[in-house]
Amino acid sequence: MHENILRRLVQQELIAPEDADKIALFESEKPFSLHWELKTLLYLGVLLLNIGLGYIIYENIDSIGHTAIILLIGVLSAACFGYAVRYRQPFSRGEVESPTPYYDYILLLGCLAFLVMEGYWQYQYQIFGTRYGLATFIPMVLFFGLAYWLDNQGVLALGITALASWLGLTVAPQHILTENDFSSAALVNTGVFLGLLLIAITFASERLDFKKHFSLTYLNFGAHIGMISCLAGMISLDLPAIYFPLLCLAAVFFLWYARARESFYFLLCAVIYGYIGITYLLLDNASGLDFMDYMLYFILSCGGIIFLLINYKRFFKKTSA
Amino acid sequence: MIAYNQDWLDALAIRDAAGEWHNKGLLSDEKWQAIRARHTPGFYTPNVFVRIGLAIFGLILMLAVMGLAAWISDPESDEGLALFGLFWGAVWLAALEFWAIGSARHYKSGVDDILLYTGIISIITSLCSLLPYDSGALADCLIAWPFLLAGSIRYGDRLMAAATFICSLLIVLLIVNKIPVAALYLLPFAGMAFSATAYYFARYGQRIDGWRHWNGLFATMEILALAAFYASGNYWVVQQVAHDMFDLAQPPMGWFFWSFTFVFPLFCIYRGIAGKDRVLLDTGLAGAGAAIFTFRYYFHVLPWTWAAAIAGAGLFLIAYFSIRYLQKNAGAYTYDADGRKTALQKVEEHLIEQTIAVQTPPASTPVKKESFGGGQFGGGGAGGDF
Repeated sequence: MHENILRRLVQQELIAPEDADKIALFESEKPFSLHWELKTLLYLGVLLLNIGLGYIIYENIDSIGHTAIILLIGVLSAACFGYAVRYRQPFSRGEVESPTPYYDYILLLGCLAFLVMEGYWQYQYQIFGTRYGLATFIPMVLFFGLAYWLDNQGVLALGITALASWLGLTVAPQHILTENDFSSAALVNTGVFLGLLLIAITFASERLDFKKHFSLTYLNFGAHIGMISCLAGMISLDLPAIYFPLLCLAAVFFLWYARARESFYFLLCAVIYGYIGITYLLLDNASGLDFMDYMLYFILSCGGIIFLLINYKRFFKKTSA
Repeated sequence: MIAYNQDWLDALAIRDAAGEWHNKGLLSDEKWQAIRARHTPGFYTPNVFVRIGLAIFGLILMLAVMGLAAWISDPESDEGLALFGLFWGAVWLAALEFWAIGSARHYKSGVDDILLYTGIISIITSLCSLLPYDSGALADCLIAWPFLLAGSIRYGDRLMAAATFICSLLIVLLIVNKIPVAALYLLPFAGMAFSATAYYFARYGQRIDGWRHWNGLFATMEILALAAFYASGNYWVVQQVAHDMFDLAQPPMGWFFWSFTFVFPLFCIYRGIAGKDRVLLDTGLAGAGAAIFTFRYYFHVLPWTWAAAIAGAGLFLIAYFSIRYLQKNAGAYTYDADGRKTALQKVEEHLIEQTIAVQTPPASTPVKKESFGGGQFGGGGAGGDF
């Protein structure tokens, strides 16, 4: 391909023949990158190893060998953390480049092996008893600490997941005790709260200029958890009066954020969740409408959104100017 | 032949290649500006997330329009429904041709994609619904094939090309399947012969300058043909087909398919690395994974948990040592995401060597050369910072 493009550009006198020779030489001597393949192998390796080890533990829980296996997992986890600490880069408030290509994967392996080991302790010895919250609290603290100290967004995502389960677990049991009602109200509210919390963390870190590049990870979780919780509140709790305004606020917030940062990803998220919410509200409250009205609603609303999406940039430039 | 403005398609390809050269310092800023000024595509091509959004809402819109039209016109008979689908398929294709591409200048915008898919699917399903119930899959494929092929060629769409390839493969296999007695023996080889032909045609097509607008389609076809070639001879696939369609526990010539299952991926990996062919390499790696799954399906040598743990550790170590090796031995292969530095250094080295050779007495060249070759490439070895 590049030969023809080069020839065309030389013919149009846009590239000097010497430059074309230089480029042709570059193209022919360009080394073959095995980056993608090797990264995939690393990732698959970490994943398979943990899935395998996790199931081996549960299958051998009563046999003699399980102490040896748990010891092995513990040693593996400790070795990974040891490696990560030993070869770490000096701490920085900003982004830090990984010291070695496999560094991130070794750290990830250590974290996942830790989870397997902790799960085993809880299962076998109930070290946390029935305080399941504590079982998720410890990895959460560990993962957040490691993510910030060693600057790793994969571990940060694990930490946010642990935070979500910790909040969910600490809120739900109380409700079981007091109201004998394991309805999703507690979970929905936790989700809304978590979404707000994640957004707040993003803004605090951007304002304080502390690990600003974590924003995308936080906001990604925040957007989906928050808006799905609002939709769940509208649909399964049947409380649209409370949750629909919240959903609108979230959608408007992410529309604003998308415009401020020119992030098309959050634009799409806000539009899709907002559309689902509005459509549900209309269909739920509209009685006596016939099929034609529904179809007309879809035609007009989708047409409007397509118009908005196509003209988004123009809209953006006009208002910012 | 292609619906989109060909000069603009060329401009996109030129900007793509020249932008990369500019990034790597092979083109000066003013030359890059001149190239961009001369080659300006006028397409409307939004960001990928906007493309997804436009496709989703475009689809809902089209379905609602068809729903409304069906509610008003109320086609009752089977023929009426088929005519209805044909009409709307034609409407969407006309909208694609004259509005989206012709006047609105959409290209990979989500709108043109979804108009094409909805139009072609409406037409094919309407035509197939007219067939009698017992007509079978071959008739459906034969009806779909010309539309899929025409859609691929006219709109240069990769998904359409993939559908055309799968449809063609099905046609070949379904015809071979009708041969009495010999079908069992012929099916795997028919699949392999067809895929091999498609593979070489795809590679040939990518070299033809006049077919450059369909380059992506041929690349898609190359990957699919290689995957289909391996699947045709994989023991698990052959055994399942023999069992389901011919009631045989074991396919004939099992030894051949067993050896093919293992040898072909290894051959692909070897050829991929030696020939610097990413499609061969990646297919070979995926095929090697499939070969292991095939083996474990028939022989339970290890519990799957141990197999997963050992395989995981093995993969991790292979990747670990490969990366270490590549970092210490810079050469034709690299772990760098796009190898720009080493290649650029090489070019510079080459040019400096040439200019030095021209300008200075040859005696000084070896001295100069020493400082460019070799060098420190520490990477992540032992040592560390304490």
